[in-house]
Amino acid sequence: MKKILRTHILLFLLFALLLPSCMNEPVMPPNTNEGNFEALWKIIDTRYCYLDYKNINWDSIHDVYKTRLATDTTEFEFFDLLGDMLAELKDGHVNLSSNFDRSRYWNWYTDYPSNFSGSLISSSRYLGKDYRVAGGFMYQKIANDSIGYIYYGSFSDGFSDTNMWYIMNYFIDCKGLIIDVRDNGGGSLESAEALASYFFKNDTVTGYIRHKIGDGHSDFSSPQEIVTKANKKIQWQRPLIVLSNRLSYSATNDFINRIKASPNALVIGDQTGGGGGLPFSSELPNGWSIRFSASPMFDRDMQHTEWGIQPDIIDSLKVADVERGYDTIIEKAIKIINQSN
Amino acid sequence: MKKAGFLILIIFFNVSVYSQTRNADTYLLSNVANTFGFGAISVLDPYLSPLQYNGIGLKYDNDNLRFLDTEKLNLSRQSKFTITAAEALNPAFTSLMMLVGANYQYGMYYHFQPISDLKVLAGGSCDVDFAVKYLPRNTNNPVNMDMSTNLNISAMAFYKLKLLKRDVQLQLSLQSPLLGCMFVPQTGASYYELFLLGNLTDAFHFSSLHNKRGFQSRLLLHVPFKRSNWHVGFDFNMLKYSANGAVYKKDDFGLVVGTTFDMISFSGRKNLPPSNFKSITE
Repeated sequence: MKKILRTHILLFLLFALLLPSCMNEPVMPPNTNEGNFEALWKIIDTRYCYLDYKNINWDSIHDVYKTRLATDTTEFEFFDLLGDMLAELKDGHVNLSSNFDRSRYWNWYTDYPSNFSGSLISSSRYLGKDYRVAGGFMYQKIANDSIGYIYYGSFSDGFSDTNMWYIMNYFIDCKGLIIDVRDNGGGSLESAEALASYFFKNDTVTGYIRHKIGDGHSDFSSPQEIVTKANKKIQWQRPLIVLSNRLSYSATNDFINRIKASPNALVIGDQTGGGGGLPFSSELPNGWSIRFSASPMFDRDMQHTEWGIQPDIIDSLKVADVERGYDTIIEKAIKIINQSN
Repeated sequence: MKKAGFLILIIFFNVSVYSQTRNADTYLLSNVANTFGFGAISVLDPYLSPLQYNGIGLKYDNDNLRFLDTEKLNLSRQSKFTITAAEALNPAFTSLMMLVGANYQYGMYYHFQPISDLKVLAGGSCDVDFAVKYLPRNTNNPVNMDMSTNLNISAMAFYKLKLLKRDVQLQLSLQSPLLGCMFVPQTGASYYELFLLGNLTDAFHFSSLHNKRGFQSRLLLHVPFKRSNWHVGFDFNMLKYSANGAVYKKDDFGLVVGTTFDMISFSGRKNLPPSNFKSITE
């Protein structure tokens, strides 16, 4: 009996100890320049979501940059090499971060006119010095107190329904509202949805999202509807004009995409900067962090929003107006609201 | 054969057949062990990072064992609650992962006594496990949750021996998950899509030995002192599971120390204490 029991216990122990070793873990490349290069290339190859959409030959990029990989390179040179390789993706959501630097791709807005001047909107014609602040919003009545103007600089700056309730009450006699999200580089998607929700009467499908389900460049999940829910307590029913420029990026791009489906809204300004891919993070064997677009987002017509969204009315800052202290795009918005009443 | 059939029954169905827990002169004591642990932990979570993180962790568990019936002293039940907290670093020491978790387990055991000083408890348990892993430097994937429920095969052995003229007891506990359900999202799916948009496709998985293998063990030495019983020992746990093409891992090894005592509880209208027991609420 003793012997049988001992054998059974030993067998159970052996079985249990061997079990966890039967599943194969992925093998990470070694922490060498070559290993880190291969690790980064593979992360992008298997998890970046726009390789096919952007028609990028990632295999060819591997070969080109691998030949530039020298063993005696300094850490800075190696970092720059990887940064250059990532810049081929032309994506503002792609960054390599180390303790000494962060690679970035900024051409999505530096190659275009800014169409925004912080000093202009701070002038007495617009925000002035006595503007009010609620949550992340700076707001003021403009055009002889007939139009409400909100500047929102970052979707990382939160706000509440109470903030918006006070703002809309403050603008209760205004003919229309302007929300300026130029130079807003993004932030929280939840904030983008929350802000859009004040301008919908009904829940509306405003876009779709997919995510990678395999290593192949086109291995994506089925599109998941993104519904912008109408806020049940606060709804702005008068004209709304949203101002955008090339630095309206990421969550701001998402906000613009949603607001274009709002029945009373118009978007004026320049095309947004894009950033339609929800970024994820991973890391290399040497501990450097890599951020990359992982989940592509689409508009309600299943079109990618990665390269930006066209406004309903394209307009740009005119030098002559700027010299007079006028923001051409805000003035255009004021004109449209006045014409609509 | 009969015994084997009964074992299968208690492992897979956890049938709870409670009878009166107290007859005229017999009381069922609960053996309660409070144990603190400190040790090394190693975590691989491809949702957060492809690198294995290694660090240190703390653990506390409350283990409550009791016979089911005064008439059948070969069947007991276990109720165990565990909380853990750990911090781990990536191999390059550039990123810190934090982990907190909780587990509740309910098990039933059949008692054997193959030799006079050895008692073996064999049975099964079901548990609910929840843990949050947090990697603050990640964007949109800074958190991953471990959620699972498991049906486990469990065994315990108690061996009495003399050590330095003292009666001590060695305890070995072993457990391995057999079947269950676990939450493992696609490595490319954001929690925004999962929980705010409600796309939970491929997030919940049936688990069995084909995709989840683990082994929990604890070796304890129980030493009675003048007014208390203390135990000291080792924990060694290994867990590996895979879903959606990714392999996850959590191993830990540590020292544990705690106290054990027997207690009896009275509560409710039907479970009143005898008159010679005095309560401050009386």
